[in-house]
Amino acid sequence: MKELLEIGLQIGGWSLVLLCIGSLWIPGILGWKEHLVALPPLMRELWWTYSIYVWSSHVFFSVLLLAFGGWLMGGTGAAMAMNTFMLLWWGVRLWLQFFGFDFREIGTNRFNRIAKHLLTALFIGLVVLLAGLLCWNAGILTP
Amino acid sequence: METQLIENALRLAGTMLTGLVVANFVAAKRWDYAGNLAGTAVIVRQIFHVHCAYIIAIIGSLALLCLGWPHLLLADGMGRILSAFFALFWVSRVVVQLTYYDAGMRRDDRAWDLFFLGVFLTLAIIFGLAAYQP
Repeated sequence: MKELLEIGLQIGGWSLVLLCIGSLWIPGILGWKEHLVALPPLMRELWWTYSIYVWSSHVFFSVLLLAFGGWLMGGTGAAMAMNTFMLLWWGVRLWLQFFGFDFREIGTNRFNRIAKHLLTALFIGLVVLLAGLLCWNAGILTP
Repeated sequence: METQLIENALRLAGTMLTGLVVANFVAAKRWDYAGNLAGTAVIVRQIFHVHCAYIIAIIGSLALLCLGWPHLLLADGMGRILSAFFALFWVSRVVVQLTYYDAGMRRDDRAWDLFFLGVFLTLAIIFGLAAYQP
């Protein structure tokens, strides 16, 4: 199980790296600039500020998974707290993917459909991985 | 610097972060987020609300950590990495405030502008100290 979680950490970490790189194209694909023209300056500025901070959190998570896997599996209270936080983060994001976002306004071309499915798969994978890490740290999963 | 002093500073940071969580809700009303977003596409509204909620979740969780378990941020290498991340987080917030947000709006609310700059700067210093404490 330990090896499986270690492999999962690498896959999850690199998937997040890809997500962070891919996210750079999201504003263009979803036409954020055109949509945001109607907003007052402060709301536009808030929009970009929030977006960049969320993006930087994803960068941080990818660093954690790739470079601090041993710590995340260490069984300490801090590691469990961080696992729980990330599990909640991605759990909520997965829930939003199915029940929160209204994707009807986004074009249903092939690229968008594939991107949506890949994102869903990534969120499911991260939730499974982080739940596994949490169980490992709680001693529910054994080597 | 004494560990106890840094722990107390982190508790102070936790109190300030709790205030920032509350301030986010006040700002939503004051700047009429709902009204301003009413004319935009549904997905734009939803993304804004999601990003807003996730930022509040980060700040709220950090407040909880600082108030309840400040020693964890000083305990090992990972705690220091986390502190360094948040030092960078708050330094960048100072830079955003000074260089990105509308200068006219900041001038109109100069007192609040300076207040929040002070808060962000203090948070950056506290987390910086936690990260680099010998």
